Order: sequence, then structure tokens, then C-alpha cells
Amino acid sequence: MTAGNGQAPTVNFTDERLGNGLRLIMSPDPLAPVAAVNLWYNVGSRHEVPGQTGLAHLFEHMMFQGSRNVGKAEHFRLVSGAGGTLNGTTWVDRTNYFETVPSHHLELILWLEADRMGGLLDALGQETLDNQRDVVKNEKRQSYDNRPYGSSSEKLQAAVFPKGHPYHHSTIGSMEDLDAASLEDVRAFFRTYYAPNNAVLSIVGDFEPDVARGWVEKHFGSIPANPNIPAPPDGSLPPLMGAEVRQTVPDRVPMSRLYIGYRSPPLGTPEFDALSMATVVLAQGKGSRLYGDLVRGKELAQDVGIGAYEWVGGAALAMGWATARTEEGLEALEEAYHEGIADLVKNPPTDDEMTRARATIEREELEAFQRVSERADRLSMYATLFDDPGLTNHRLPSLLAVTSEQVREATEAILVPENRVVLSYVPEDAA
Amino acid sequence: MTAPASTRPAPGVPRPYHFPTFTRTQVDSGLRVIACHLPGRRVGSARLVMEGGISREPAELAGAATLAARTVTEGTESMDAAAFAEATEQLGADISVDAGWDSIQGSVVVPVSRLEPALALLSDAVLHPTFPPNEVARLKSERLNDIKQEYADPNQRAHMAFVNTIYTPESPFSRPSGGSAATVSRLDRDAIEAHFRRYAGPQDATLIVAGDLEGFDAAAVADRLFGAWKGGAPAPATPPVAEALTATSVNLVHRPGAVQSSIIVGHVGVPRLVPDFLPTTLMVSILGGLFTSRLNLKLREEKGYTYGARAWFDFRRNAGPFGAATAVATGVTVEAIDDTLTEIRRLHAEGVTPEELAFAKDYLVGIFPLAFETPEAISQAISRMVVYGLPDDYYQTYRAAMQAVTVEEASQAATEHLRPERIAIVAVGDPDLEGPLEEAGFGPLTVTQDSPDVL
Repeated sequence: MTAGNGQAPTVNFTDERLGNGLRLIMSPDPLAPVAAVNLWYNVGSRHEVPGQTGLAHLFEHMMFQGSRNVGKAEHFRLVSGAGGTLNGTTWVDRTNYFETVPSHHLELILWLEADRMGGLLDALGQETLDNQRDVVKNEKRQSYDNRPYGSSSEKLQAAVFPKGHPYHHSTIGSMEDLDAASLEDVRAFFRTYYAPNNAVLSIVGDFEPDVARGWVEKHFGSIPANPNIPAPPDGSLPPLMGAEVRQTVPDRVPMSRLYIGYRSPPLGTPEFDALSMATVVLAQGKGSRLYGDLVRGKELAQDVGIGAYEWVGGAALAMGWATARTEEGLEALEEAYHEGIADLVKNPPTDDEMTRARATIEREELEAFQRVSERADRLSMYATLFDDPGLTNHRLPSLLAVTSEQVREATEAILVPENRVVLSYVPEDAA
Repeated sequence: MTAPASTRPAPGVPRPYHFPTFTRTQVDSGLRVIACHLPGRRVGSARLVMEGGISREPAELAGAATLAARTVTEGTESMDAAAFAEATEQLGADISVDAGWDSIQGSVVVPVSRLEPALALLSDAVLHPTFPPNEVARLKSERLNDIKQEYADPNQRAHMAFVNTIYTPESPFSRPSGGSAATVSRLDRDAIEAHFRRYAGPQDATLIVAGDLEGFDAAAVADRLFGAWKGGAPAPATPPVAEALTATSVNLVHRPGAVQSSIIVGHVGVPRLVPDFLPTTLMVSILGGLFTSRLNLKLREEKGYTYGARAWFDFRRNAGPFGAATAVATGVTVEAIDDTLTEIRRLHAEGVTPEELAFAKDYLVGIFPLAFETPEAISQAISRMVVYGLPDDYYQTYRAAMQAVTVEEASQAATEHLRPERIAIVAVGDPDLEGPLEEAGFGPLTVTQDSPDVL
């Protein structure tokens, strides 16, 4: 009754390309009368050039401001009116756009996505750019600048990745660069990256593949490819930072908190999978080591966590955090946190710990795969990042196959003092 | 290759959709059992709905329900907290117990093949909790720390100030759901345990099981695991709440140097069982529930003041709050409040348009198959039915009832349930806003300054 009992889901799919290079992945599943579309563009904040931080994300906002046959806010109106949900997200490696609808509205959302892939520039104007620039600046204020500990991810990225590295800056960008973004910048970004041969379109749910393929060809087929998509920036780095970086950050926070960033090997390496399992053993759930030791046992921490971002550009970011129960306890907390990690090297996970970690991630995967939207996202993700949508089915077995010894090795190689940045957030009036 | 189609595709023929059917049984202890068989859904969701929600806390014990719920999984007669957590993880289960305003609910998410052993753990937590003093003390200190974090977060701080303004201090809804620093620091282990034991019993409880239940006999499992459950006493009527607001007021909570103001405008709303629940739901969706709502289009898509604006009725057994909230750049605080009030006034006075109503219905009716894609979403929906005493065919008839709402009914709901002339305005933002807020003349201004040691 534990992991590996053959319950892992299999997502059956087809994988093809249109003449213009658009990759189409289809996975029919009639269980519920819904269909999900997830369109990944192979462009994220790592592709931004100096002076244009935040442009990929600002651009994502412009994709909802109308296109050749769609008015401002009409994309939202049409999908909501169909009883559907939608959004777009921007991250370091990619930008994605997705909708889930009752299945009889599938053609509508394919048409909407095609209309902006092919005809965004017809509707692009200074007024909507200025409006969405203001919206994004308020997003930055709300999610980063006016939020307790809100600057932590920006600071970790800046410290773990050297200046000039594609992951050195955050996806939200800087206010200065947002202010400087011009219509011509947005147009050039679109012409460079928003081409069918730089995108993966996944459809999952209740539909007839032949019919859906016809719709995709009809609506996307004539959009021209861009033969000159730039190669992704070189993110290669030495595996370790080399020396510990320490920063004290006075902030408008009531409790001291540690953020600890590590440079990690990227997603797609055995080391990344081993590190992922290490993070589960260390801090996922109330039976995990750091929770048992720091929260329940020593009562030094209010909460504790660690995780690794699934980034592919030469390196990735692993991030731990712990909130100190008392201001005086911050030092003891940091010491206990590092000790807890070092202990995983001395005392690698027991069979029981590995069993629990595997059962936990297996349930999470099964749970996630119940939603058509999640399956569509994974298919596009693995096709975009690794040219292999089949990883949707193989990633979980890879994680479940990680051994205790591999967890130990990854911890010993990655979660070490010379490879970490320690941010200590402290109440500003106490600093 | 053909040119891109210039006309929007028409929808196809909808596949029929029905909210899943379920069966009811009752075990000897009195526990009611609802089983919802969902073929192909291999991650099941079970939910034990109990009385003893936060609304039932006496003022001096605010926080007891939340801490009681958190503590029952932290030690039973046969397992300590760590052993319970490890047993849960062995099954790959997610087990939690949480207090809401109107119920305490235990939740289990686990592959259906392990549903019974996971439910056995939930049963152990609920039937045999020991409330270990060390765990209670730890969770209490964690809750007190959470309160400090809530004060530091501008949006949560605004919500605290808002409910504190619109409800009398005796009303449970005037407080944060997990209690305030003053009440939580006074709570002792016995009071927390007593709250749970007073209400946790089979006579007022319902177990909901959803997922692929092929070969799973819910009644027999419930009988094995909950058949011997004793305890609790029938819950009386939920204690009432009362409104404090006598006139429009403005409260500025100082946050020196804040680059944004977190704003909430609103008043006491209506209970879940208000007769015009559906017209009210539609009306508030048009005001601030949808991306294309009046508030979001005005404040975000037209003015660019904010990342988002929304409005909601928080439906509970008693009248929960109605609020409209946004976070805007400091310099446009007064303008954003003014726009929010204008939209509330306009909806109150002029009602909804046929186009808006049709659109909101299309969304709320159409979203059904998506909203209920997973067993967990379905068990949550059924739990609302249980908590509010809705009929068993509620979700079967919901969409037709929604479609039948008229423009007049939705507009009438806006007239009756929005009250722009006596409304609370709360802003958490820079102290320099005092002058502009005075000058704006929305209403008398009070200022709140959180002292660090009030916490």
C-alpha cells in the first residue's frame, strides 16, 4: 500500500507539426465534457536583454489587449462567457497561455489563440501599452514592493546568478525598464519570439483529434514561421557559487526569516531529480526532517521549507526558508537549519523516509493529473524545454527511482556552505 | 494555406452534463454518510463535516475552534504527532482538519485504493484526540505569530480593520477567523479541548466520500470507523451577529512609506440562505466577481490604478461581509475609492443591463463541468449543501434556476443588498493620505496606528 503500486498515470498523446513549425500535441480523454488548451512560447525572462527586464511579462499582458479580430478585454469576455477559465503566466524559461472550456467551445479558444499569434500587432497601441505598464507596475508593488519579505526572490536570483547571467534578474523586471519599454520594443519582441515554430500547442480532454487538427490547421496554418529565432542565451555556469554570500535585509516584517538560495543543476539532470527528493525528505509535510526538528522539536521555527525551481538554462535555483519564532532565535535557527541539511549527508534517508517521500509525490502527481489543464501544461512544458512531451509520463518514475544514496550525493554536492546565499530578513526597527 | 478566419467560430453541441448523483446512508452512531461514485477518478476525497465552527465561539474564546481543529491531528490515544504524520505520509495521504465559520471539517485526499486506511487515521484523530499540552502550546504560539504576520500584510490588515469597523465587538465576524492576539493569548488547553468535545459528535456530522468507489462500501467503512463514535451534543442555533456601522466612515491605517494603499469598501451583507441568493450572486459577479466586472474594467483596464479589483459577498449562516477591494498606487488612493463608490452607487441605483446579466449567467452556468472536475471539488460542493441545509437536488436544479433570474431580480438584489449611503471605507497606506482623505469628504476620518508592542 505504498508507492510504486502501478497507479502512475499514463497520458496518451500524438505529437506532430504543422507546415509552419507549430508543434501540436493532442491527448483525448472523454471522462469529463471539458477541453484544455495550453500554448507555450519558448521565451521567458531569461531571453530579455539588458535594459529590457520585465519585457516578457509585460508582453504577456499585451496578449490580452486585443488582436486582429478581438477587442480589448474581449478574450476574457469570450472565454468566460463560454463558461471557461483562462490566464497566462511568464516565468524565466517560457511564457504560456491557457484556457479550459466546456468541450463544445474548443474551436473558439483555438481561434482566439491563433488570432493573437498571427495578428497581435494589428491591435497594438500606445494607450493599451501605457495602461498595462501601469497594471504591471502595480502588480510589482502588490506582489514584491509592498509585501512582507516580497523582495526575497529578486535578491536570491541576483545573488545566486552573477550579473549578466540570464537568471540574474527577476521576471517582474525593474520599474526603470518597465517605464522605458516602447511600442517598438513590444513589436520587436513579438516578431522575434511569437512565431508558430517557437510554440507548442497542447489540447487535452473531450474532443475528436481529426476535427481538432482541422481547426488548428484552419486557424494557425497560415501564420508565417520566423526562420531566425535566436538561440537561447548561454546560461552555463560553474556548478558552485564558490563562496557563501550573506545579507541582512531590514524590512517591514514582524518576524525574522531566513531565505537560503543555492545554485542547483538544471531540471533534466539526475542531480536535479535527486535534489528534488532531498527537498521532500527535508521539509515536505509534518513528518519531514526539518519540520520535526526545527518546528516541532526545537521550536525554533514557525515554518520551514525548501524546494528547487524547475529551470533549464544551465543552472537552477534551490530555495529554503524558515521563520524564526523569536528575534533572538534567528542565529540558533540558522545553525539548526544548516545542521539538519548536513545531517542528511551523514545519515541518508531511511527506507521509511524514502517510502513516505515517494508516496507523497505520487499522490500529488495523480491528483494533478486529474485535471485536463495540468496534463496540457505538462505536455507543452516537456515538449518546449526538452523536445520530449513523453517526459510527462516518465518524470514521476524517474523521481520514484531516486535512491537514498543519490539523495545523499546531491545534498553533499549542492546544499553546501560555499554554494549558498543566506538572506536574513529582520524587522527594520530592530536593525 | 488559407487566410486566418475572420469570424469567430460558433460553439458546437454541448455534451449533457449533470452534477454527479450521490447516495445517502446513516450509521448506527447517527453519522450521516454521502457517497459519490465518480468512475475513473482514482484520487478520492473524503470530508467529515462537523459542527463547532468559528461562529459558535464565545468572544472570550475566539481562536478556540481553529486551534482545536489544528490540534486533533497532533496526537491521539495511540499515536503522537510525529507518528500520526508519518502514518499519513506512508499512505501518500493529505489529511487536515480546519475550522471555518460554520463548520469544522476533516479532509482526506488519497488514492482510492488507500481510502479506508486514510479514513481510519482521520477517525482516530476525531474520535481519540489527546490535545497534548506541548503541541497545544506550540500551535498557540504559532497562531500568535501568524497574527503578527497578518498585521504586517497590508491586504490582511485592511480586512481586519474592515470587519472590525462593520460588526459590533460581540459579533464573531468582527474578529480574524483564528482569533485576535488578546483572545488567543488567553486560551488554555482545556478550553480548546472543550470546544471540540462540545461539538464533535456523530449526531451533527456528515461524512462525504467522492471518487471511483468501485468496490468501496462507504456505509460499511463508515460503520467500522465511526460506528462507535460518541460525544458532542446537538448544536443550538448559530449565535447572531450585529452591525456596528451607523454612518459612512473612513479609516486610515498607517503604513508609513507604503507604495500602495490596500482598500476595502463595504458593509454587512446577507446570509447564505437569503431568498434571492442567485440574483445576489449574479449582481456581485457583475460588480466585481469576473475579470470583466465593472470594477476591474474601470480600475485596472481603463485607469491602470491596480493589478486587480474585486467585490464579493462572503456567504455564511449569518450575514457575512460584502466588500469591494483593491490595492492601488498611493497617489491615486482617493480616486480609486471614489471610483469604487461610484460603481457601487450606480449598480444600486440603476441595476444591471440585460447584456451583463446574460454574460454573468453564461459564465456561472457554463463553468459547472470545469468547477466540478475533481472529487475534491465535488466533496466541497456537497459539504456546502450539508452545512447550509440545501436540498439534495440543489446542484441538479442550480443551473436552470440561475438561467431563470431576470434583470429585474438581479437589479432588485442590488438595490436591497448594496448600501452605498452607509458604508465603511478602509485604507491601509501612507500617513500622508490623511489630508487628501479628509478633503475628499467621503465621511469622518479615523486614523489607526498599530504600535509594535500591541502585538
